[in-house]
Amino acid sequence: MIPVRQYWNLLVDYLRPHKLRVVLLAVLLLTGIAFQLINPQIVRSFIDQAIEGAGQASLVRLALTFAALAVGHQALSVVATYLAENIGWAATNELRGELAEHCLRLDMGFHKTRTPGEMIERIDGDVTALSNFFGQFVIHVVGNLVLLVGILGLLFRENLLVGFGISIFAIAALLAMVGIQNVALPWWKRVRQRSAEFYGFLGEQLGGTEDIRSNGATGFFLRRFTEHLRAWLPDAVRGFMGWAVLWSTNIIVFAVGTALVYWIGSRLFGDGSLTIGSVYLVFTYTELLRQPLDRIRHQMEDLQKAGAGISRVEDLLALSSRLELNGNQQLRPGPLSVEFDAVTFAYQDGDEEIGEVVLDEVSFRVAPGRVVGVLGRTGSGKSTLARLLTRLYDPIHGRVLLGGVAARVAKTDDLRRRVGMVTQDVQLFRASVRDNLTFFDPDASNEAIMEVLVDLGLADWVSSLPDGLDTQLESGSGGLSAGEAQLLAFTRIFLKDPGLVILDEASSRLDPATEQLIERAVDKLLTNRTGIIIAHRLATVTRADDVLILDEGRVVEFGERVALAADPGSRFSRFLLVGLEEMLA
Amino acid sequence: MNASARASVPTFKLMLGIVRFAPWRYAGNAILWTLVWVMPVIPGLISKEFFDGLTGEASVSFGVDTLIAFMAAYGLGRVALVAVAMLNDVYFRFRVGSLLRRNMIGRILSLPGARAVPDSPGEAISRFRDEVEHVEEAVDLTVDMVGTVAFSTVAVVVLASINAQITLFVFAPLVLVILIAERAGTRIRIYRQAAREATGRVTGAIGEMFGSVQSIKVGGAEHHMIGNFRVLNEARRKVMVRDRVLNSILESVFWNTVNIGTAIILVLAAGAMQSSGSGAEFTVGDFALFVYFLTFATDAVHFVGIFIARFRQAGVAFERMAELLQGAPPETLVVPRDLELRGAWSAVAPPPDRGTLQSLEVKGLSYTYPGSDTGIEKVDLQVARGSFTVVTGRIGSGKTTLLRALLGLLKPDTGEVRWNGRIVDDAASFFVPPRTAYTPQIPRLFSMSLKDNLLMGLERSDDEVAAAIASAVMEPDLAAMAEGLDTKVGPLGVRLSGGQVQRTAAARMFIRRPELYVFDDLSSALDVETENTLWERLFADHQVVTSLVVSHRRPALRRADQIIVMNEGRIEAVGTLSELLVTSEELRRLWSEEPGEDNGANSVPV
Repeated sequence: MIPVRQYWNLLVDYLRPHKLRVVLLAVLLLTGIAFQLINPQIVRSFIDQAIEGAGQASLVRLALTFAALAVGHQALSVVATYLAENIGWAATNELRGELAEHCLRLDMGFHKTRTPGEMIERIDGDVTALSNFFGQFVIHVVGNLVLLVGILGLLFRENLLVGFGISIFAIAALLAMVGIQNVALPWWKRVRQRSAEFYGFLGEQLGGTEDIRSNGATGFFLRRFTEHLRAWLPDAVRGFMGWAVLWSTNIIVFAVGTALVYWIGSRLFGDGSLTIGSVYLVFTYTELLRQPLDRIRHQMEDLQKAGAGISRVEDLLALSSRLELNGNQQLRPGPLSVEFDAVTFAYQDGDEEIGEVVLDEVSFRVAPGRVVGVLGRTGSGKSTLARLLTRLYDPIHGRVLLGGVAARVAKTDDLRRRVGMVTQDVQLFRASVRDNLTFFDPDASNEAIMEVLVDLGLADWVSSLPDGLDTQLESGSGGLSAGEAQLLAFTRIFLKDPGLVILDEASSRLDPATEQLIERAVDKLLTNRTGIIIAHRLATVTRADDVLILDEGRVVEFGERVALAADPGSRFSRFLLVGLEEMLA
Repeated sequence: MNASARASVPTFKLMLGIVRFAPWRYAGNAILWTLVWVMPVIPGLISKEFFDGLTGEASVSFGVDTLIAFMAAYGLGRVALVAVAMLNDVYFRFRVGSLLRRNMIGRILSLPGARAVPDSPGEAISRFRDEVEHVEEAVDLTVDMVGTVAFSTVAVVVLASINAQITLFVFAPLVLVILIAERAGTRIRIYRQAAREATGRVTGAIGEMFGSVQSIKVGGAEHHMIGNFRVLNEARRKVMVRDRVLNSILESVFWNTVNIGTAIILVLAAGAMQSSGSGAEFTVGDFALFVYFLTFATDAVHFVGIFIARFRQAGVAFERMAELLQGAPPETLVVPRDLELRGAWSAVAPPPDRGTLQSLEVKGLSYTYPGSDTGIEKVDLQVARGSFTVVTGRIGSGKTTLLRALLGLLKPDTGEVRWNGRIVDDAASFFVPPRTAYTPQIPRLFSMSLKDNLLMGLERSDDEVAAAIASAVMEPDLAAMAEGLDTKVGPLGVRLSGGQVQRTAAARMFIRRPELYVFDDLSSALDVETENTLWERLFADHQVVTSLVVSHRRPALRRADQIIVMNEGRIEAVGTLSELLVTSEELRRLWSEEPGEDNGANSVPV
């Protein structure tokens, strides 16, 4: 069934601000349809008057009225397109914006299971399908239904027999066309699926040319390429024949319609019920039926598809974040203390069951202004620690406190402003350096940014870029080196002036010049702030006041760095002996 | 790549090449579609007879029943014709599309593997899909073109025989429409392009937003990000509305041509229709015929406009496809070949002769990445039979580039490679199993069974497969998979971890038992212990192993017969570990950053 009501419920809020324009659009469309319906009547009068020998002036007047109405109808349809597109895009853009914001604020469990590609499909793809559906539905389906009813009504007015005859024909025609289309739909679906499979295969092949070539598998993959084509061909043929059948139905239907007009027309003309002009009128109206019948048939397919899109958008809007984001406590200014109080945590992706315990009764306390180096092998829970501090997740048991305030009751915006984190993998946006630094904050002043850059020793680096702060970066790594991207991320954080800084150190080796810049920036960043450094190198740990070693989600060692290093029985001192990379592999 | 950098492509010649590839199907299309398009002349004439019959002006008096029978015959005839034409067409189009695609993939798989696709694979796919479709469509439209022109000609001749003056007045404005459409075509393309770009920016922004959702959240930047997203959406609305309105205007122009044409017929016919009864200059039937033909003729003109646009689009499509060929002439796209869409398969070319490796020599090998100054410069090296050579250096020193240039996966700018003393001409085709096999740093597996991924068409016994898997330290992973070797991998099957992918790729290499094993840095996904086990098994399972390996790990360096230290694209030092620890500062630096004593390799002190 066509989910009109669902669709309406979804869009009505977004259409409300455009109420006036919607009404105007409806008026225009109806007027246009009226023009379309009136014109054959004028031709009928013309023919009848011409045959009866009316005056030239009257005939020319009819001809001009015809032209005026026809041109008027076209002009109306242009204006209607303008209105409909504007309303459609404005309303759906609002929906896109809200949907994107809603999703962006959902918890990380939601995002972990979804690729950016999928989000593009769900936020733009589904909404665009809805918007097409809106345009199609209003203009094509409703408009054409009105046109259809109008034509049939006028035919009834002409003559009851004509009205009944053509109405039955129209209904039968529509049923036949939709019926045939439903036969062909699965064939078309199959072709689409085949081509999706083919391009999926091709994408892998194009991405793996190095592996294919170096392993001498060219012949094998060319064969598979052709195997895909072989499988595709019969489905392509069936898909095409589906179109042929549909077209054929159309041809037959209208041959039947025309024949029907001949039959009824000749009879009624013979007994004097219809004038020759009226027979031509019936003929024209029957031809005019082609358009609404064909369009309505065509829309049936899209309407069915739109149903799926609507429920996907609704599902998305119905999701809510697992985190309660309504805390209202402010964090105190200055460096923040950090406390984990018997924190236990496990990830939960989407609707899945709660996974393995990642942090197990973790407790420790860091005084304000101290710097902690966190060590542990992959999977020991280091990154999770950072994610709880930035409140990307909430613990299952226990509390995370920042400056004595539990993260759960802190005001989220405030928390995010007071806690800064730099990860290994810095994501850049396709935008200017400035927007990348401020996350598109239009209120951040260039002076403030430059001040921070000078402070971090990056002023020279920025002025070396072609357009300074206005230099456009590409997405992904932005055409910057890993080191440069990190510097950018430091600046982002510095702009927020947080009380706690979390650094997930880059594990790859950088060139010496960049490394020096980063060292300096980190020094600056940690001055008078609490720091948590997830370290991958021993050199970095020397910066820390305290050392925390995690293993399988438990704190196995926590204490002052100097003291631990001096104690030959400590794990940390053995680290210093053996080297770090070993356990981080 | 910008337009000026594009090689000019002979669109017409290429389209001719396509027609020559499937001449009979094309000829069939030409005849069948012309008939399909000309046939609608018939119902026009029947309707004229009908109206003239009613007003008693028919030249031949058919009864209504006869006319109805004609209509039925017309309907059935055209349906039959459409069916045959469609059937012929689908085979024609499929063959044309397959030829273009097959020629492109064939060329891509003959190019140096590391740079076989100029942009991203996703971008290349759009060329395989959309550009091919554009060309198919353009070639197909040539036939429809002929058909509609034939229809219009017939229509004009018929109408002129009825009333030449009215015909002239009605059809002359159509020429004007062609000109308008032609003019508007450029603008449509500009608007369309702008609309595509605006959409690209919106989808790009969504992708970026959700690709870096963590940093946005941590940065507390949701609000500003959405603000920016809304700005992009708004920009898109503007260009979209502009594009759609322009289209709607053009559409209106075409329909108004019909409408105003009809009005002209009415005005001109006003006088001619006056004298009723037999002998009228212009009958109701004539009027019906004029209006009917006018609609079709306008469609035909519309069609000419579409065709011109599509022909141009095909030119762009050919250009974009030719870019994928990277240097081969555009004619390569339409080189005829047996597509093997049915029947028996031709034999796959057998692998080259093994030719026992005695020595591999590289002299003066240089490669610079286009548009940069990074790469490798004048690299000399030798690999002797049975030796273990390790290439090391810091990130960006050119290790991977060296392996790729040597194997022909990148086309070296200068330098020569000798295999047993003989110069290798086409390195990309020469360095394949059983001579060499290679595991890239980030290997790719394909969406098929694990077994197919290992063999990739090779025929090997189960024992051999099992042995290769064991050598690659894959057997515990395999044991955990319910379907074993038949497990499907990839996005539609089981997602493997980075380490599993790398070990599968190693097994894929082992199963080929090449003369020379080439590994690029196993350390990115394997821990030290596993890497070490893999080396041990490789040497234990094979009698003579010659290998060339990128690594910075101590166990590999210690095992090496020869270490090559790369720095900024050049070889900085060559020697054994003990020599280099004395002579090379760079190696000492690399060594010191690696984990400590040997006991560290096997036990982790936590």
